[in-house]
Amino acid sequence: MKLYLDISESFKIALSAIVANKSRGALTALGIIIGIVAVITTMTAANGLKNTFRQTFASVGSDVIYVSKRPWVQMGPGFRFRNRNDISLAASDALQQKLLGRGIVNPSIGGNKNVKYQSKILENINVSGTTEKQIIVSDMVPSTGRFLMPFDIEYKKSVAVIGSEIADGLYGKSDPIGKHIKIGRNKFLVIGVMEKQGTSFFGGPNFDRQIYIPITTFGKTLGHNGGRANVNIAIKAPSQESMADFEFEVIGEMRKIRGLKPAEDDDFSINKLDTLLDAYNNMMGAVVLVGLIITSISLFVGGVGVMNIMFVSVTERTKEIGIRKAIGAKRRSILLQFLFESSTICLFGGVVGLIFAALLTKVINDMLMPASLSPAIVVSALLISVFVGVVSGFVPAYRGAKLDPIEALRYE
Amino acid sequence: MSVQEQLATEVAVAEAILQINNVTRTYFMGDQEVNALRGVSLNIYKGEYVAIMGPSGSGKSTLMNTIGCLDVPTSGSYHLEGVAVNEMSEDQLAEIRNEKIGFVFQTFNLVPRVSVFQNVELPLIYKGVAKRKRKEIVEKAIASVGLEDRAGHKSNELSGGQRQRVAIARALVCEPSIILADEPTGNLDSKTGEEIMGLMNRLHEKGHTIILVTHEDEIAEHANRVIRLRDGLIESDTLTAG
Repeated sequence: MKLYLDISESFKIALSAIVANKSRGALTALGIIIGIVAVITTMTAANGLKNTFRQTFASVGSDVIYVSKRPWVQMGPGFRFRNRNDISLAASDALQQKLLGRGIVNPSIGGNKNVKYQSKILENINVSGTTEKQIIVSDMVPSTGRFLMPFDIEYKKSVAVIGSEIADGLYGKSDPIGKHIKIGRNKFLVIGVMEKQGTSFFGGPNFDRQIYIPITTFGKTLGHNGGRANVNIAIKAPSQESMADFEFEVIGEMRKIRGLKPAEDDDFSINKLDTLLDAYNNMMGAVVLVGLIITSISLFVGGVGVMNIMFVSVTERTKEIGIRKAIGAKRRSILLQFLFESSTICLFGGVVGLIFAALLTKVINDMLMPASLSPAIVVSALLISVFVGVVSGFVPAYRGAKLDPIEALRYE
Repeated sequence: MSVQEQLATEVAVAEAILQINNVTRTYFMGDQEVNALRGVSLNIYKGEYVAIMGPSGSGKSTLMNTIGCLDVPTSGSYHLEGVAVNEMSEDQLAEIRNEKIGFVFQTFNLVPRVSVFQNVELPLIYKGVAKRKRKEIVEKAIASVGLEDRAGHKSNELSGGQRQRVAIARALVCEPSIILADEPTGNLDSKTGEEIMGLMNRLHEKGHTIILVTHEDEIAEHANRVIRLRDGLIESDTLTAG
């Protein structure tokens, strides 16, 4: 009861002191407002970047493991990976046999080609030789027409499923299905158009500028020998939870297929969404950290401003402290009174700062990337501002609390 | 017969509220040692009206600060209602001041910016009294000094006499053992001063123990016991008609 009274009364006293010095309080809070806006906008922008990154690479699939010659994120010199043996289509077939009933294995080969319809040409289009399982591992489906079917692969059909940007670019408003498309020097029949994926960011793959053809046809028509081409193998795990175990299993089977001795290192790379996210976090983590440190400096400067004003406030009210002590205020009551004053100023700054940061985030969201103010950011902003208030108010408040009542009363 | 003996026989049943025994207080001003009190012994009994007098430098302020528990003696003992104050911590002293001492200062010492009501309420807040109870006590105290119609005013909207009445109301709310008034009329004109002294007299008649610190004989005349200090020692301690 007594502590509750102490707290609530200290709070009231602090509020009335701030109200009595409105413009001073507002100017002091300005430093905190600027600091909070800077720190919070950095946080929301970082979140926005992360969201964009996730969206861009969502098609990678969080339950899909990719076995390739090279790792996606390459550390150190590249020759180690260049000298590895290519991964063959046969290896993919062997892996499918071993994992039968558990994982879905999809081999694919990629290459860039110019594509043409009548007089229109699109340059450097990514052409992917793949199988009907592509839509299972990448979670994308055609919006019109159909995707590749097992017999397209089996009979090495010259059919193509094209991305939405290619459909728009080559065929304009007319329906591309049933029309021809020239890939390199070979004619293909368009059988489907993939649904639009949206623009990519961060140099991620642009799936709207992608063409899928049967992997068997790819080797035949685009100059690769199917047996020797370097295949990427995508394997969809039976469930998200078993990813880790499944990855070990895939590695084990691949080692057997590649005929590695126990002492030898893997001569292939395991890639997955986590690999990309880790790389992203490593890179962006550092950038965001530096950003936060720089913006925190402005918050620190705001805190110093609060401390300064609190020293003035304590000195100005030395006599009042003396009176309060004479009629029974303990050190704790005086300490609380000034701590509440500084943290209320800072909390006010934090709230106003949050409002501005929310507006800025809205602008970023509308113009740049999907940034948003999460509840965690809101809560941490308020906690940070109160923390700054307590820290910067403590020394002045403590000085006030330990004043000698006789000397404080004598102060004019 | 000394005053102490006389009082002890006259008011045999009365308890000594305040027992000061051989108190000294030494402090340093720079390098210089100042012996403000050099061995003061004093008993004050319940219901007494005491004036402490003395020229400046006599130790009168130091004695008042000691009695008011704002300061602790360098040596000697001070018991307030049987409790040894000289051994207390700062926060314990704050509690004693809150509950047992009612201060009335020369310069009123009201908290600026807040209303009369809030000023009078303050000691009760520090005591931890619940809000509804506080309102009741504060209203009664303000009425007892005749300022009912000023309760909502800020202290800077009041005259000196009114401010001192607020201070007296504030001194009364915690029902202190002693009302300690330091030159309560020092900043007032003589007419207002007389009014305030009239109020103090009425409080004494109601049974309050009052200690006045003053250098004016006229003011000291209101008391029925006068203690004179000189050079940190008690020079005389006499009962008067009052």
